Amino acid sequence: MNQKREKTVLLVDDEQSYLEPLDDALTHEGYRVLKARDVSTALEILKREHVDLVSIDIMLSPGAGLEGTINAQQAGMYLCERVASEYSHVDAFCLSVVTDAETIMRIQDLGVRFLRKGETPLRTVLRMMRSRLTGIAYSTERDGKPAP
Amino acid sequence: MVDETDVVALQKENRFLREQLERVNRERIEYLQNVSHQLVAPLNAIKWHIENLTEARVGIERGKKVLRSVYSQATQAVHLAKNFALMSNLESDHALSALREPLQAVNLCQLMINLADDFQPQGWDKEIQIRVQDTPLSKAPDVLVIKPLISQVFSNLIENAVKYAKKLSQIVIDGTHDPDRDLVTVNVRNDGIPLRPEDAKRIFERGYRTEEAKDAYPAGTGFGLYIAKRIVEIHKGEIAAATDARGRVVFTVRLPVRALEGEARERESKEGKNRSTRR
Repeated sequence: MNQKREKTVLLVDDEQSYLEPLDDALTHEGYRVLKARDVSTALEILKREHVDLVSIDIMLSPGAGLEGTINAQQAGMYLCERVASEYSHVDAFCLSVVTDAETIMRIQDLGVRFLRKGETPLRTVLRMMRSRLTGIAYSTERDGKPAP
Repeated sequence: MVDETDVVALQKENRFLREQLERVNRERIEYLQNVSHQLVAPLNAIKWHIENLTEARVGIERGKKVLRSVYSQATQAVHLAKNFALMSNLESDHALSALREPLQAVNLCQLMINLADDFQPQGWDKEIQIRVQDTPLSKAPDVLVIKPLISQVFSNLIENAVKYAKKLSQIVIDGTHDPDRDLVTVNVRNDGIPLRPEDAKRIFERGYRTEEAKDAYPAGTGFGLYIAKRIVEIHKGEIAAATDARGRVVFTVRLPVRALEGEARERESKEGKNRSTRR
């Protein structure tokens, strides 16, 4: 229990509307939550801070220094690649609305867990992240309580 | 007998048309994806917020903020839904009379105050303040317009201003009345991403977005300003973008006070006639 309380989650999304509820939920679970709204800020945080889990959106602002070098429609893909190659100890999730099967396959090939943003209930997102962070297998809940 | 050069020309034309069709189809799909994403995003965010509230993942004080955020998301969803509904109307190129909306005398100063309040929650995140400078705009006469349309024009301008303004900045709305030309001018000023002169005209084109805008908000459709321009033109007004003396991006709308009066009268008499013939 106490072990997970020290874990740090980095949320990378340029839509405040999604960041806010995810931040609320993870903070409630006891995690330390860091937020980045663009790729270059996320890379800076990864360099500076110890991060256990990162959640990445695909349609993302490149951020300072990266404008023009990466396409905003796919900026999150670039971040997924960087995390996979340089921060392989960090558990990576992709929370995005992309529906294109090829893109999703590319994400998963990098070892990044893909979840459709919005359509996935928050409780599912939370439980999957919790399972990754604690190393305890994912289980559904009954009556709002964790399964034995 | 068919000439061989004719066949070649036909094949060439066929290929050209097919390519054009494919391009239009691609643009259409991209458009629909952006539209659905933009409409669905605030609704999904509302769902996640509600989940946090029902599962008691937030305390009472935070809960109040969450509810404010839900309200702001709902405002956003309504605003976008209106834009897309308008878009299909404008695309089918209806004339003003076909839009079938009654004209109303609108006090632009009051409208600006209402819209500022409506969009202020979206500025909290960046600590942006919207200020309506009511003098001398409050002295301007009411304009005779289709209120929901004109309201959408300024919603789009204010929404854009909030989106592209920098943190801790102010959005200033002001305006004047020009008695000689009998038009009311309203300016929406924001301090943020600068606008290049070559982009100032193009941003009103359907679907056009500047590189800076794409970088800042990848999911936009580039329709807000196009819709604004079309509506202002329906009202025989003007809309323009520029950089003001203090380096802020300023969108200026000029509306004639009673440009549509004649058309309204014409329509009324026509409708009156229709009614009498039906009887």
